[in-house]
Amino acid sequence: MSVTHLPNTHYTSLLSAHENNLVGQDVSWLNSLRKKAIEAFSVTGFPTLREEEWRYTNISPIEKKQFAVAEKPGKLDAAFVKAVLLEGCYHLVFVDGFYQAEFSSMDGLSAGVTVSALSEGLSEHESLVKSLLDSTVETPALGFINFNTALFTDGAVISIEENTVLDKPIQLAFISSKEAALKLTNSRNLVLAKASSKASIIETFHSVEESCHHTNVITEVVVEPNANLSHNRLQAESLKAYHIGGVYSRLENNAIFNQSNYTFGANLSRCEIHGTLGEASDCTLNGLYVGQDKQHMDNHTRLNHAQPHAVSNEFYKGVLGDNSRGVFQGRIVVAQDAQKTDAKMNNRNLLLSDRAEVDAKPQLEIYADDVKCAHGVTVGQLDETAIFYLRSRGADKQTAKNMLTFAFANEMIERIDFEPLRMAVLEELLKRFPQAGMKKEWL
Amino acid sequence: MLKVENLHVSVEGKEILKGINLEIGAGEVHAIMGPNGSGKSTLSYVLSGREGYDITEGRVLFNGKDLFEMSVEERAWAGVFLAFQYPVEVPGVSNIYFLKAALNGIRKFQGLDELDAMDFISMVKNKMKDLDMDEKFLYRAVNEGFSGGEKKRNEILQMSVLEPTLCLLDETDSGLDIDALQIVAKGVNRLRDPKRSFVLVTHYQRLLDYIKPDYVHVLAHGKVVKSGGPELALELEEKGYAWVDEKIAS
Ligand SMILES: Nc1ncnc2c1ncn2[C@@H]1O[C@H](COP(=O)(O)OP(=O)(O)OP(=O)(O)O)[C@@H](O)[C@H]1O
Ligand SMILES: [Mg+2]
Repeated sequence: MSVTHLPNTHYTSLLSAHENNLVGQDVSWLNSLRKKAIEAFSVTGFPTLREEEWRYTNISPIEKKQFAVAEKPGKLDAAFVKAVLLEGCYHLVFVDGFYQAEFSSMDGLSAGVTVSALSEGLSEHESLVKSLLDSTVETPALGFINFNTALFTDGAVISIEENTVLDKPIQLAFISSKEAALKLTNSRNLVLAKASSKASIIETFHSVEESCHHTNVITEVVVEPNANLSHNRLQAESLKAYHIGGVYSRLENNAIFNQSNYTFGANLSRCEIHGTLGEASDCTLNGLYVGQDKQHMDNHTRLNHAQPHAVSNEFYKGVLGDNSRGVFQGRIVVAQDAQKTDAKMNNRNLLLSDRAEVDAKPQLEIYADDVKCAHGVTVGQLDETAIFYLRSRGADKQTAKNMLTFAFANEMIERIDFEPLRMAVLEELLKRFPQAGMKKEWL
Repeated sequence: MLKVENLHVSVEGKEILKGINLEIGAGEVHAIMGPNGSGKSTLSYVLSGREGYDITEGRVLFNGKDLFEMSVEERAWAGVFLAFQYPVEVPGVSNIYFLKAALNGIRKFQGLDELDAMDFISMVKNKMKDLDMDEKFLYRAVNEGFSGGEKKRNEILQMSVLEPTLCLLDETDSGLDIDALQIVAKGVNRLRDPKRSFVLVTHYQRLLDYIKPDYVHVLAHGKVVKSGGPELALELEEKGYAWVDEKIAS
């Protein structure tokens, strides 16, 4: 017997209630795209535990809480913004889903690079937006994607011209203000790295207060032949937030894409990192999730090796303490034509308490016969002998555990080349596993 | 300083130490020798507080305090240090940071402030020079990929940085080449002090040529079967442990 899931009318009615408040309301193709999306959403609703890809993550609290749409940006303390902005970057700041020019800075942006908020640059960059929007996400799209397409209020559109190297990373900072409590925000970012270009993008997510809000953000990425794009994500939202994120990418021939994904915040988070790999492209996915209290963190990666000779390297680490729960689902699909694929996936988890849990599920679907695919999953605890050794030298028990936990997680942080981001991620880790007198340069 | 009284210890129901008595005064050097499996490492581990040992009888007083009432780190803070027979690898934790965390733990207990980072580093570098250790070891993960001899030297480095009052060295000489043995012995001798005591667990007289013990004990089958002066070690070297066994039998 199949049970039909009835979409939540609170959410399905949002488009009609807010269509006059959304970016691009006068752009007809966009309006019809939004309509189609909400119609599709009205049929499926949000995913449920009955769906294989969602069996470990129950999003019914999002349904029950009936978040209202954030209609305008809340007030922000300049000091808060300053603290979350990374040095040495261009900055685009979004508050409650709305671009805030006063906090943003694109000064000195080189020619050949387009960076704009959708709310400011949609008409100027309409054809670019049209070519990217909904171009990398799966069809049929998931509930959260349709929901986002129907309701996104803002986001960034970025395009790097051919043979252009961006001198500094672009930081997109998404901040939820005090006023965001019990509100939802939908943002959409669109990134195009044209042939032989090189750029780095950093998305960061923050909350001003420990309030309950819902963030739904999707980034679509196209990396053209021989381009090299790095995309980083630091999610450090309130421990009461609900965060649904996605990075959907298409790598064309010989493209290089490095995606790093650091999860610290939110009561419940789910992040989709999807990529379709063109011929001889190279995709690296690094991830770290650090859960405490009752946090639930779900990372879902999916790499489609569609063409031959592509290489993918995936490494995710999880640290789960208290009653937290982690989910790692890594799926690699190697198409029949994708000969000489070289795909590696590794997921290592550290459980810090008996009550913490992890569901790790690598899935390899291989339809080609001449490929190299390797995957490994481990779930372990801190090494008791090492704890004893550290304590026998004078580190107290908690410090010893923190040191070892830190060392485990730091392996993923060391991989960040850009120092300001590395320090920001380290800071999040140190907040959770404090260590007196630590010098970061000694790590 | 240390008083071991009728110590009985079992592991998983099997009795390994069967009534050890030992008294170590301040400034003394004691050597413990004995056949493989006689319980020397077990004794060292029990004194440093490792889990997994059942203390079924007896007690140990350290400066008058019941050692078994103290946690592992409390013993370290009070001045107990064990140089491990098999030093532990700690991936991802650099040697310098490890030393700093250890020293800070101890200084905090002593009510002292943290050492300034520069002072700390130059202090450690000086001690490394004494032990003929390359500075690059500071930034390598603790013992990870160290050779056997390098690990042992690293234990002595930790000991000289932390300046404990009771130093237990479990076969620190094993696996050291002749030059390294001399360097390590010098490192130990440099630390000798009227307020500091040493227990050297060893199989070989050669260590005792460099670090002269005040007392030598023979541990066999979980008991101290013979104690004497430095000459006992020479006698053992000559006659082997069978000689001790015969003496027990008779
Ligand atoms: N965790 C354990 N589980 C079971 N048996 C143990 C354990 N630890 C020690 N033993 C046993 O206790 C006995 C004493 O071991 P210990 O390591 O103390 O000997 P030792 O005198 O240090 O020997 P060596 O000279 O070879 O280092 C051995 O028979 C050993 O197998
Ligand atoms: Mg031993």
